[in-house]
Amino acid sequence: MAASLQRIGIVICRTFPVILQRNIQAQRIRDWKTSAPVLRLNFRALSSSSSSSSSADDTDSTEVLSRYSDRPWEYLESEEYIERYGSKPVWSNYRRNHKGGVPPQKTRKTCIRGDKICGNPCPICRDPNIIVHYKNVNLLQQFISPQTGIVHDPIRTGVCMKQQKLLNKAIETARDCGLLFAQLPHVDYSKEDYSNTHGAVAPTPAPFSLSSGELWYPWYGSIKPDERELARVKRIYKDYLKPDV
Amino acid sequence: MLHTPVQLVAVIHHKLACQPPLNRTRRRRRRRSRCDIIHSMATFSFTRCLVRSYFCVKCVDHVQTRLQTTASRSTQFTDTEVQDILTKITGLDLKKVFQPIRQQLTPPKYKLMTDTELEEAVRKAEEQAKHLLKMPPVLPERKPVNDVLSEDQMLEGMGTAKYVFTDINFNVPHRERFIVVREPSGTLRKATWNERDRIIQVYFPKEGRKITPPPIFKEENLRVVFEQDRHEDVLNQCVVQFEPDSAEFKNVLMLTYEDIEKHGKYDLLRSTRFFGGLAWHLVNGRRIDGLLVDMLQSDLMQDAVRLVRLFNLVHPQSESAQHAQRQQATDLDLLKIYAQYESNRAGFIELAVQTYEQTKALSSF
Repeated sequence: MAASLQRIGIVICRTFPVILQRNIQAQRIRDWKTSAPVLRLNFRALSSSSSSSSSADDTDSTEVLSRYSDRPWEYLESEEYIERYGSKPVWSNYRRNHKGGVPPQKTRKTCIRGDKICGNPCPICRDPNIIVHYKNVNLLQQFISPQTGIVHDPIRTGVCMKQQKLLNKAIETARDCGLLFAQLPHVDYSKEDYSNTHGAVAPTPAPFSLSSGELWYPWYGSIKPDERELARVKRIYKDYLKPDV
Repeated sequence: MLHTPVQLVAVIHHKLACQPPLNRTRRRRRRRSRCDIIHSMATFSFTRCLVRSYFCVKCVDHVQTRLQTTASRSTQFTDTEVQDILTKITGLDLKKVFQPIRQQLTPPKYKLMTDTELEEAVRKAEEQAKHLLKMPPVLPERKPVNDVLSEDQMLEGMGTAKYVFTDINFNVPHRERFIVVREPSGTLRKATWNERDRIIQVYFPKEGRKITPPPIFKEENLRVVFEQDRHEDVLNQCVVQFEPDSAEFKNVLMLTYEDIEKHGKYDLLRSTRFFGGLAWHLVNGRRIDGLLVDMLQSDLMQDAVRLVRLFNLVHPQSESAQHAQRQQATDLDLLKIYAQYESNRAGFIELAVQTYEQTKALSSF
């Protein structure tokens, strides 16, 4: 009885795997759709009561534009940020979920794919008001070591790879614009010659032309050929020489 | 200048050619010929080195004579006395020069030293600091390169892109590297200075330098950085990015110095390698009042005296210089003369000098 039931179960599992998968997927999406807007609504309730009316309109739609999307640096001075993070960096209370003691040496590729957000999103993706922008210097500073000036590894901070790439780009742009400190090498000027007289960078000097009577090499006139050799050569090429030579 | 090295090569080759006649045996001739080849190659490279060094020496001599002729008319940045004064004004604050830089950290090393060893270590640190405080050169602006090598009309219409031909030999100094551009119209011309800098950065990248200048050097970004008092960072970026005789380098330096002078933030650059350039810029513009006042307020009397002496060196025709020359004035008298004849803030300078003299008299009692 039990064996036959088992067999029926196996057959069902083998013949309808697709249907099962689809059911599981649909369940997951339903869960996220119920929980994620609640998550986001919670955040926006924390943020400001004044804009709650605007947020209530877009609970089920795609990514809502944060009210700080134009000036993302203002969020870091706002009350909800201080209440949520205090003076610690945004990644300080984040913990990745992974098997074993050693985490995978690369964080996930991205937390948000289209509409869907994953479970346990990274510190930047979980808060829609945190926007990675090159002018958002205070946020970028949280991801740079203050002693070495090196950007923190994503394994340490927990951000997904997509956000890490955006962070790297933003930090580079901020350093180019002078908003962030950039350590530069010392330039040594002792070995260079700045006379700029070489033909590569100066006007080409005029070509050397012989004045009348001047020889190409000054020793042309002073060397006298061996008389016997001269006579021998003249004798050999007698037929080819001009008559007056 | 061109034909002299050729003559040199020819003379040495001639000397080599006049050798004793070869032995008639076959084996010896073959060995001799191999030796001959090696010998001639060695001599050729030797002559090439000689020629190169002669050429460079000729260049340097030429430049030196040119500099000397101008020096006789006016003082230059490279004069020993000027450099001496500027280095002394810059000061040597070891704590500021050896500020910890942002780099990969290693565990600290602790050493137990005797007093003599400590003094030796401090002396070495001061030498290293002097090397770090070497001033970037102040050069005249480089003349544009407008040299057309050939015009080939038959190549017109072959394509729409310019072709850049670069000499990428490793042992050629960048200022002697040939970089030529073939335009779509067929003209072959030497590359302009901007093009040269970009191409050399592509093939021989320097650390910290970008191919296109970063946006920090735009006006609005510079303003933001100056408000944060980060003039030294801007100057470091400028020094890394541009060549010292380029127009952009001079422009950025000028803007930085103007901003410092406007707000009186001289202390930011004190004990850095840029203070000499700042002092030279102000002295040439005859605007040393702000800096003098700042020095007097920080009790740097000797530096103030040196600054006035530099002013007199650079402007020997000015009234203060002539009066100082006549009276053979030294130290504080120089300051008094300068305050009397040239300065806009005469009152403050004279007051400061008087208070200094009084304190010196009191302390000597």
